[in-house]
Amino acid sequence: MSQAAIANQIESHIPNLIEDWTAAVREDPRIQSDENLTKPELIDHVPAILEEICELIRKGETPAVRNSLEARANVYVRFHQGYTGRDLVRELSLLRITLLDYLMEISSGETVGLTAKERHDTAKIINLYLDEEMRYAISVFCGAASNVQDER
Amino acid sequence: MISQAEFDKFVMDYNEDYTLLLKRAGNRHYDCLISAFMVLKDLYNVIQVIFDTGEYTYEVLPYPFSFRADDVLLRQLGFDDQEIQNIFGFLDHVKTTQGMEFEACLEAGPAAMCARVK
Repeated sequence: MSQAAIANQIESHIPNLIEDWTAAVREDPRIQSDENLTKPELIDHVPAILEEICELIRKGETPAVRNSLEARANVYVRFHQGYTGRDLVRELSLLRITLLDYLMEISSGETVGLTAKERHDTAKIINLYLDEEMRYAISVFCGAASNVQDER
Repeated sequence: MISQAEFDKFVMDYNEDYTLLLKRAGNRHYDCLISAFMVLKDLYNVIQVIFDTGEYTYEVLPYPFSFRADDVLLRQLGFDDQEIQNIFGFLDHVKTTQGMEFEACLEAGPAAMCARVK
């Protein structure tokens, strides 16, 4: 299965992935920042994030500062929605699990199996993308915290 | 090496220009807007690369460059329903006139647009 076919497979499954992820976030007692958000507000940039990840998988590109625009947009919106940094990290962790679980599902599928290398390459892009977002989030949230401390 | 104050100025300029371009899209002033977004994306990337060095902090966060299908963000920026509809209309306009999605157009750069003009 080519990288493009894997990306297409994930892309075609985005609505289901969003449903699974939303349920996981809502059910997680450790995430409190989502309580006042409507479903559209919670979902917000996540479909765009998944599309951007699929595009990187399709091209075999390594996620970095210049090709993770949706990740940065998500951090911006969450920051302004009053999220705590730790809740955003947990939310991204649940997104990672949702994606990796689905990758495993594709991988073991009877019709479209993946080789170990294909699964590894895809998982690497997913992980690096979400790590890139976490890296940005930590910088933004820590910067905001130190600004508050400076004001005191 | 730039100072923190210069970096802050970059971010403020970027935010100002970004809002201006979205206002233009919100008012359906689509002419040459894609070229302006191309230039602005370069500035956004420069800011992100500089910030990624870890030597600077954000006094003000730069607006995220991406605004596709994000009415949450656009409402945060103060746009009303009609303006948001026009901003999304710009994305359709790009696809119609350039034959590719807004993001693909930005990635292809001016060369792609020049190729279409020839």
